[in-house]
Amino acid sequence: MKEYILLMISAALVNNVILARFLGLCSFMGVTTRIDTAVGMGMATTFVITVSSMADWMVETFLLQPYGLGYLRTVTFILIIAATVQFTEMIVKKVSPPLFQMLGIYLPLITTNCAVLGVALLLVEGKMNFIGATLFAFASSIGYSLVMVIFAGLRERLALAEIPRLFAGPPIGFIVASLLALAFMGFSGMSAG
Amino acid sequence: MTVGEPVYSTEDFSAPAMVEGTAHVVAVEGNMAWLVPETGSSCGGCASASACGSKGIGTTASRLEARRFQLVNDVGLRVGERVVVGIRENTLLRASLTAYAIPLATLLSAGALAQWWFGSDLATMLAMFAGLALGLWLARLGAGRLLVRGELAPRFIRRASPGETCN
Repeated sequence: MKEYILLMISAALVNNVILARFLGLCSFMGVTTRIDTAVGMGMATTFVITVSSMADWMVETFLLQPYGLGYLRTVTFILIIAATVQFTEMIVKKVSPPLFQMLGIYLPLITTNCAVLGVALLLVEGKMNFIGATLFAFASSIGYSLVMVIFAGLRERLALAEIPRLFAGPPIGFIVASLLALAFMGFSGMSAG
Repeated sequence: MTVGEPVYSTEDFSAPAMVEGTAHVVAVEGNMAWLVPETGSSCGGCASASACGSKGIGTTASRLEARRFQLVNDVGLRVGERVVVGIRENTLLRASLTAYAIPLATLLSAGALAQWWFGSDLATMLAMFAGLALGLWLARLGAGRLLVRGELAPRFIRRASPGETCN
């Protein structure tokens, strides 16, 4: 039990997908202009990362490893991620068409989010069991969503601040992101201690 | 105001804000109008454009058509008119919680229980898929309840001015 809690804290905070591994930076800068879009994107990504990692673990364990097909891993995982996104889109549409109208816009963007593939490949390196892999993927994506929401909140505040003309827009966004990454480095002290 | 001076905003951050978007009327049936949302001006230029369907072979129209929605036509909208519609900000949060958080919560709870009970990967896998199915069913119930309360429907805000876009 304790090892799973440590695994989740490590995945979400210490080795944060965005601020420690620098994955998924496109959506990090792209959809964090408002908190609500960041939440929508974060939740959709959390769902896709968790479900696709389950499928990736199964394919890796029952197909790629036994038959020595490790060289097809990246291509296979990309295919699985695309299929999971399509599956999620179909399910949300089936569960509730109005929900799909509201949330469907975020889904196709996840296919090109490298954090999804990054987490799947990290799972293989970690050699975890099924529940461990799923919890790792879930915690990684919660860390992703957390940073997205924090950064969106900061950018909403930045929009109201008086910023020198040369720094307005993305430059000040990058400066804030770097400060946030420095703040998250503090969590690595948890693992050292 | 000089640079470096603190900025005081009178905006009430606790008030539920509206998320706005532009749409145009494609059909009017009795008291109801059918609208199709417009894509943002930066959509086609984004690096993910080919994946999200804003660029490519015949995808834009089909995607927008799938997002067609209805609005009560109290203000006498006509076909071709552009309007600004909005939903409350917390509606989006509630919708994404319903669609994604409920299935994930049941999936992970079922998996954790099965792992604790049986301790094998196969049992955990089966339990997680059962949990996902249960969660999707619960999400369907939750979405139905939101729909009945009218929380998922966009509201008419104003007619769009000629040059107005969503971004």
